[in-house]
Amino acid sequence: MTEPTGHILQMSGITKIFPGVVALDNANLAVREGHIHGLVGENGAGKSTIIKVLAGVYGRDAGEVVIDGAAMAAMTPAHVHAAGIRFIHQELHLVPHFTVAESVFMGQELQGWFGIKSRAMAEAAETFLKETLNAEIRGTTLIRDLGVAQRKLVQIARALIDNKARIVVFDEPTAPLASREIDQLFEAIARLKARGISMVYVSHYLGEITSICDQVTVFRNGRDVGVIEAIGPQDTGRMINMMVGRDISDLYPAKAHAPAAALLRVEALGDHKHFDNIDLEIRRGEIVGVAGLIGSGREELVDTIYGLRQPAAGRMLIDGKPVRLASPAAAVKQGIVLVPRDRRQDGLVLGMTVADNVNLASLEDVSRAYLINRPAAAKRADALAAKLDIRPRNVDTVARLLSGGNQQKVVLARWLATGSRLFILDEPTVGVDIGAKVEIYRLIERLAGDGAAVIVSSSDPNELIGLCDRIVVMLRGSIVANVDTATTSLDALIALTTGGELHEGAVA
Amino acid sequence: MSAAASPGKADTVMRVVEALLRQSFLLVMLACFLFFAFYNGAFLSLGNITNILEGSAILLVVSLGMTLVVAQGGIDLSVGVALDFGSAFAIVAMRDYDATWYVAILCGLAGGAIVGLLNAFLVVRLSVSPFLATLGVFFIGGSVQRIFTHGGGPISFRRLPLQYYDIAVGDVFGIPMKIVIGVAVLAVFYLLLERSLFGKRFHAIGMQPSAARIAGIATNAYVALGFVVASMTCAIGGIIASANLRMFTPLAGNAYLMQSIAAVFIGASMHPRGRPNVLGTAVGVLFLSMIANGLNLMGLDFNLKDALSGIILVVALVFAIAQRRLKH
Repeated sequence: MTEPTGHILQMSGITKIFPGVVALDNANLAVREGHIHGLVGENGAGKSTIIKVLAGVYGRDAGEVVIDGAAMAAMTPAHVHAAGIRFIHQELHLVPHFTVAESVFMGQELQGWFGIKSRAMAEAAETFLKETLNAEIRGTTLIRDLGVAQRKLVQIARALIDNKARIVVFDEPTAPLASREIDQLFEAIARLKARGISMVYVSHYLGEITSICDQVTVFRNGRDVGVIEAIGPQDTGRMINMMVGRDISDLYPAKAHAPAAALLRVEALGDHKHFDNIDLEIRRGEIVGVAGLIGSGREELVDTIYGLRQPAAGRMLIDGKPVRLASPAAAVKQGIVLVPRDRRQDGLVLGMTVADNVNLASLEDVSRAYLINRPAAAKRADALAAKLDIRPRNVDTVARLLSGGNQQKVVLARWLATGSRLFILDEPTVGVDIGAKVEIYRLIERLAGDGAAVIVSSSDPNELIGLCDRIVVMLRGSIVANVDTATTSLDALIALTTGGELHEGAVA
Repeated sequence: MSAAASPGKADTVMRVVEALLRQSFLLVMLACFLFFAFYNGAFLSLGNITNILEGSAILLVVSLGMTLVVAQGGIDLSVGVALDFGSAFAIVAMRDYDATWYVAILCGLAGGAIVGLLNAFLVVRLSVSPFLATLGVFFIGGSVQRIFTHGGGPISFRRLPLQYYDIAVGDVFGIPMKIVIGVAVLAVFYLLLERSLFGKRFHAIGMQPSAARIAGIATNAYVALGFVVASMTCAIGGIIASANLRMFTPLAGNAYLMQSIAAVFIGASMHPRGRPNVLGTAVGVLFLSMIANGLNLMGLDFNLKDALSGIILVVALVFAIAQRRLKH
């Protein structure tokens, strides 16, 4: 094959077959020396599989890997490491009660006449962190005393300490980080680039990709569908279209719903701990966003409205009548339903089938004399699965096997079956593919169009502005703003959520 | 991990092997059955089969109660206490208070309910883990029985009302009453756990309590109800036992604790998704009773029985685990 010059890594024609699934189908990935190469795609597109093939974790069924002009015949993790490839995994894999120095030098400790040279290691680790990553971290600090961002930097230092790294692969490095910490990570990445290290950067966040990468390869259905050179913010739409394989003219649906009479009123609600004095009104056919950083009280407020927590002060009124919701069961009886933020833990019963999950909150409707009418239950689940385009379409599939987006649709289907009046959606699209995201947004719009009241609590400001009529902003347990989305810019919203300045304690 | 040349064929083979492994327990059971039948002709006689079924009734009833608690995500170590309370309350009601047979049955059920309510209070109200809560009730219940009987002597009552005695020795159209009761309770539990909307909720709570709660299920009420129903079911076992022996024997129920746990988990191992289920539990009970009966007929040392049941059990469960490994 021809070999364009300047490519430090070339993976070509890679095929990987698992029993029943073709995970990679003749996929290619080429990285230029000294460049940062982005890798994007929906869940299941093959990103992590090709990374694992590169890491030597999976053997390949076909294809060629060339590193710095030399074809890799056998690929074990040891070979790959010897070739200078390092991986910064999403999980941290650090021992909490090791020191920073011990973590950085793990497996390659500095040995002296009298065993391990702790002092020298601590100094070397500090110097390395400072010079390579611009991080001020003491070598003797315990890992458990570090924040997530600092741990990430220690993880990077560990991969690079032997100075033999040629290619560094980042897998979703910013997932646990707050925005200020992300800047710090990007600065470290820029320093690595300045030292001539090539990088592969895997991320769901397209904004990050466009701001730090030089080129991007887009994956879909187990193969590369395109490379974008000289990537910039203007390429975001193109990238999305390539990822989902069709044109998504607009991520967010047109706002066609019309708010009517008030459904829920919250008056001076507070728990004296996470939030206080919350006044809120949600109307039928209205989508209200709740913005706020972690720790702003946003999560606790939403949980309280659903009866998962009990307020210490204030009251809630539905249709003007005061209600006390002692439990989620009481909320559901009032037509208030929650799509929780932790879908796998709280959203659905993973060991049950799609049909059982869809019917779980309204079993009475498909039962006679308390016995479930199985054909009726299957039929209704089928109908809802078809309406929401849940895949696979077989409702006897165990929920665990579904993708994040389809699991979320199952949760929504369950609440559609109960005829709910107020939908509380907490982080409705976290871990959901772009394609499914668009469908979920359309569905939310349709809920409001059909007269339901909707609360969207989200940490994604784009989502809030794109979807909601207005947004209440929470900061340190209070509502600090109530803004109309038609007249609010993204920057203004972000400024409001952060209190107009960077403040401490907003760590994810 | 290595993909075979023709995935279609490999899939079929895998599926057959998986099905065989899942049913391995039934195969082991069948092998034991045939072995006992060939070894001793008496094993297959109608009398002996009836004997096995009659002898299974109490264990079946207790195991069904256990199935309910395990299905909702707990465990009940106090099934023996509930059984004993059922027996004691019924016998004492008749002996000391001249209760008629049906009042005595209600008293027995109430005795079981007390144990269940105590478990429910500890688990739901005080948030004690089911294992520790029922372990505590197990100890307390044992002690109460010893104190009540001044050291653990049985309370016998020879002049049982005939109707009460019939619970153990009577028959319906020639079918022994114990078998009738066992099958009836089995049918009720099958409908409750496998067919009713309550059963779905119990299973949802057992698999993922937080998701069940957010789905609007009143999880606390269900868990409490589960403990009470389970204990009352065990009390039915106690009523049968007291009618059989015409006495209350303190601490007799503890004999069923480990056996009922074994039966439930045998049943779960046969389920494709490994969850406790009513029919599986029934098979588990039959298995345990059959092994005990067969080994007795072989004239083996009684003390060997548990060891052999244990070995057969472990072998069968290893197959079941192999099946689940194969899946992943």
